Amino acid sequence: MSDFKEKEKIGLKRHFTQIYDTITFELKRTWKSFIMLLIVYFGIFLLFVILNELEEVQGVEPPEKAIDYIGGYLGMLGLLIIISTSTLGAAIIVEDFQKQTGNLLFPKISKSRLLMGRIVSRYALNAILIIFYYILVASITNYKYEEIPNTLRDSMGWALLYTFMIFTFIIFMSSISKNKATAIIISILLLMIAFNIIDSILMFTKTGIEPWFLLTYYENIITASLDMPDPRYETVSFGRPDPNEDQPEFKRWITPSASGALTGMIIFSVLLLIAAFLLYKMRQSKNE
Amino acid sequence: MEKNNKDDILIKLKGLTKRFGSFYAVKNVDLDIKRGEIIGFLGPNGAGKSTTMKMMAYLLKPTAGEIWIRQNGKLEQLTVRNKDYLLDNIGFLIETPTFYGDMTPNQTLSYFAKLKGYPRKNVKKRVSEVVEMFGMSDWKSKKIKTFSKGMRQKIGILAAIVHDPEIVVLDEPTTGLDPRARKDVRDFILKLKQMGKTIFLSSHLLYDVSEVADRVAIINQGKLIAFDTLENLELKSLKSVINFEIYNYSNQNLPNLLERLNKIILPLTGLKDKSKNKVEFNENSKVFEVDFNGVPENQLKIHNALFENKFDVLEFSVPKANLLENLFMDLTDNSNKEIQNEKDNYNIEKD
Repeated sequence: MSDFKEKEKIGLKRHFTQIYDTITFELKRTWKSFIMLLIVYFGIFLLFVILNELEEVQGVEPPEKAIDYIGGYLGMLGLLIIISTSTLGAAIIVEDFQKQTGNLLFPKISKSRLLMGRIVSRYALNAILIIFYYILVASITNYKYEEIPNTLRDSMGWALLYTFMIFTFIIFMSSISKNKATAIIISILLLMIAFNIIDSILMFTKTGIEPWFLLTYYENIITASLDMPDPRYETVSFGRPDPNEDQPEFKRWITPSASGALTGMIIFSVLLLIAAFLLYKMRQSKNE
Repeated sequence: MEKNNKDDILIKLKGLTKRFGSFYAVKNVDLDIKRGEIIGFLGPNGAGKSTTMKMMAYLLKPTAGEIWIRQNGKLEQLTVRNKDYLLDNIGFLIETPTFYGDMTPNQTLSYFAKLKGYPRKNVKKRVSEVVEMFGMSDWKSKKIKTFSKGMRQKIGILAAIVHDPEIVVLDEPTTGLDPRARKDVRDFILKLKQMGKTIFLSSHLLYDVSEVADRVAIINQGKLIAFDTLENLELKSLKSVINFEIYNYSNQNLPNLLERLNKIILPLTGLKDKSKNKVEFNENSKVFEVDFNGVPENQLKIHNALFENKFDVLEFSVPKANLLENLFMDLTDNSNKEIQNEKDNYNIEKD
């Protein structure tokens, strides 16, 4: 009897083994990109360390509280998250159409299992990058202030959740793009420019609406959770103060609440994943 | 478990149909594939070959009809519920595959074997075995992006058989390959047959199919227009080609020579319509060609007549590829005419 006859692991067990095998295969595939991103994360951290040290050398006092010192390091985290999620996630769906790898894969594994394996492996790598960065920040904070604020753990939790939501957004973009480059460019344009413009428009039109529908708004809780502000908005004015005129004031939302952020990010992630998966399935049929 | 029988049908297509809007890509195809045979699936571009294969792989859902696949001795209808189980018995190479360039054949084939449930402890050994079969052992740890097109195609075929299925479905496995690589692939297909595999092979390269296929299915505009052994199709078509080479002929006397050959050969061809038939000389290959009815007796009569008339015949053959080409052209031409007539009749009735 051939080996083939012995293999009858069909059903739920096969589902799990296929997902597991896809995870390990994808980890091998994305290993190089991951190492590159690890260097980028470390480079950015190093840059902040050098800048802080240079400031100190020039006589600028370091922040009094460790939380403020940490806040400086987290300023670029949103950008790093966009870079790493798009590097690891932009090809996740589109590559099967761009490279025509689908013909090779789909007779062997269903799209849902393939996608699940890819998501788990690539998100895991993204999460490792975030945790790595927080370990670096925690280490330098401990070195400087001889303490690590407990809220750093909360911040890391929010960063991991935010990374997942942005990752699902990139997956969604991958499902509608023609190639990986388009998915990356459109995602970055939307996340870094379009959403910020909408946020500014909302502020200047004085609607007072909390921009919970903008994905990038949730990034704010990563830093804000270190020391949650109350109220969660601030009033800002622009231009040179004129004693003869009332300065126009604008309401700017600093951060979503913890419950709002949790709900918003979970809802967005689920919706984006469902949409991406449906598009993936539909697109495959159309392509064939 | 049932005992494996030589006449077992491993795949059965019943009224298989795929419609895209009002266009029928595949229409009412019936096909039986028996254990251990190589079926050549021929058709012009866009005839419905890939669509049929994609339906077999469950990449496309049929609009109508059924696909039955034998697994563990039992013929079962392919459905969404049992597709994993049934498709484990088939290895697919659908169109030209693209691989992840940064991965090695070792990594890729191991992944595919595991996906199809091949026993984990034996995967490494199995991958080494299949890579060795194609003489690619030296390449198994090199990145696929460094491979030529022919080598990638070979990896595609290995990916189809790495989980040791009984049935192998190959869609245009030799397209775009150089003659050396094409021969390698043909030899490999024959090797698979010797190993007891059943092969369903689509191609529009008639020579490749004629060299390996036991039976040939011809599809045109979505309809199966012929399905039989080459010999039976030859008898049905009553037309084949004889090629022969004559030693020491003079180019200056070629018209006279052709006239003489026509006089001797044409009455022996067995063709009803002799008016269009004549002996022709191929300037490039320096070979004389003439149509005949494909019956061995007539072939022998022509052969003997040439010797009796003192021609120094160097080579005398009935190339299978030419036979298949003629069959293919005749059948597809007839089918196109029938389809056109159907359309005309429909339009007349409509008016």
